[in-house]
Amino acid sequence: MSAFDEFDQERQAIDTLLEQGYQVISIAEDLDGARVTFAPGGPGQSPVELLLLTADARKHVTTVVFAGSKPAAPIETGI
Amino acid sequence: MADLSIDLAGIKSPNPFWLASAPPTNTGYQVQRAFEAGWGGAVWKTLGEPVINTSSRFAAVHFNGQRVAGFNNIELITDRPLEVNLKEIYETKKRFPNHAIIASLMVEPKQEKWHEIVKRVEAVGVDGLELNFGCPHGMAERGMGAASGQQPDLVQAQTTWVKEVATTPVIVKLTPNITDITVVARHAVKGGADAISLINTINSLAGVDIHSWNTIPNVGGQGAHGGYCGPAVKPIALSMVAECARDRGVGVPISGIGGISTWQDVVEFMLMGSTGIQVCTAVMHHGFRIVEEMIDGLNNYLDDKGLASVTELIGKSVPKYSNWGDLDLNYKVVARINEDNCINCNKCHIACEDASHQCIDMLTNAEGKAILQVREEDCVGCNLCSIVCPADGAIDMVALDSGVAPMTWNQRNQVISGLNGSYSEAEVV
Ligand SMILES: Cc1cc2nc3c(=O)[nH]c(=O)nc-3n(C[C@H](O)[C@H](O)[C@H](O)COP(=O)(O)O)c2cc1C
Ligand code: SF4
Ligand code: SF4
Repeated sequence: MSAFDEFDQERQAIDTLLEQGYQVISIAEDLDGARVTFAPGGPGQSPVELLLLTADARKHVTTVVFAGSKPAAPIETGI
Repeated sequence: MADLSIDLAGIKSPNPFWLASAPPTNTGYQVQRAFEAGWGGAVWKTLGEPVINTSSRFAAVHFNGQRVAGFNNIELITDRPLEVNLKEIYETKKRFPNHAIIASLMVEPKQEKWHEIVKRVEAVGVDGLELNFGCPHGMAERGMGAASGQQPDLVQAQTTWVKEVATTPVIVKLTPNITDITVVARHAVKGGADAISLINTINSLAGVDIHSWNTIPNVGGQGAHGGYCGPAVKPIALSMVAECARDRGVGVPISGIGGISTWQDVVEFMLMGSTGIQVCTAVMHHGFRIVEEMIDGLNNYLDDKGLASVTELIGKSVPKYSNWGDLDLNYKVVARINEDNCINCNKCHIACEDASHQCIDMLTNAEGKAILQVREEDCVGCNLCSIVCPADGAIDMVALDSGVAPMTWNQRNQVISGLNGSYSEAEVV
């Protein structure tokens, strides 16, 4: 798979969650990549964690948060 | 025609072209001929207790057909008595009152030694002093040159001693043989330096003769480390100039030195914060008259740019030189191959395939001709293909509108720590 396709799959996963109302509430980076935790955006949803491997997806997720807002006020996550 | 004159910390010169302290400024005969050829200033071959030089003393690195890509020497400071040099400086200044003559000085790190030499050279009418804390060889072994230039406190102390008696502007010449040149630059300024000049030569061994197993150069079969200069060192010198130019703790005019051979090099050094420049190797290679081309080129360039004075160039690129962490991660360029100019050598394909991101495809177009095409979505815009491409105009690096807001590494880290901070608060709740 081309590097772009790997990134594109990860981007779609991120964008789908965001479209469903999920919000990024933490990003933990380690040797394996970035573990991104999404808080539920509505009833019936539960928290989701994505492990992002590609550099472009790791960039994309922070760009979305950066462009969208200053870091949000504390979110009730229930986790 | 633009005004080429400069004023470096009070040292006036008809143009920014100075000879660096080195063999071309060894005698009055040479400096006067240089001024006749068009050089605006000269930093006299370093004065100090006369030394004895070795034979041989120079070596060069020729690279792929280009002679003297780099130049190496184990020469020391002047080997002539001070009084002889002073007489020639006096005569030269009398003949060329409007040219800049700067005395380069190196003595032991003792207050009385500095006081004595400063008073004696200023008495013959030099326009300024340059303190040589740079030579990496010979003098360093005796506690001078780079040996004191690598110790910030010693640079500061010696500059202070000079300033105690100096009546002309004091330039401190820095050694590049140090981890962070701005530390020494700041100490020079604390000691009262009116300007800094950089770089002196870089520690080096030009080569080893694979037949005799002798070093290059060698003195009767024995070698020693030398100082490297010439075109090969220009990028190192330029970055050190840039670091000093953007450092608020430095804040004094800069005389840029290192690998300058053309008027374009001069423009680059001035844009990066040099008020004037100095040249050694290019003159040793081509003679004094290279300055004619440099003056013409600079004049034409300034006219083309509509600039009335060369001083308008000083420091204009400094704000464009920042930290890696402040670069926009969302800026995207990609390579685009222009079939019309491509000679199908495949060098770009090999480079991208073996050393970058495997995104140049070898295809056949509708006419059955072999073509190369970049898969832009996989291209990281590294520039490698355009660097190796031998055909002008065959590869363009094209900026794409990524459609996303700029974000730097530092901003990204702030986002992450902000998020994680709020997450932990949420956890506590
Ligand atoms: C043979 C030789 C002798 C030099 N002697 C001196 C010297 O006496 N004092 C000094 O400050 N720099 C000396 N330099 C260093 C030059 O002034 C200059 O800083 C260095 O060569 C970098 O400039 P370039 O790349 O234009 O040669 C010498 C350089 C060479 C090649
Ligand atoms: S810029 Fe780099 S990644 Fe893009 S095609 Fe050229 S070599 Fe490959
Ligand atoms: S390196 Fe340049 S000339 Fe050679 S194939 Fe690539 S684009 Fe064409």
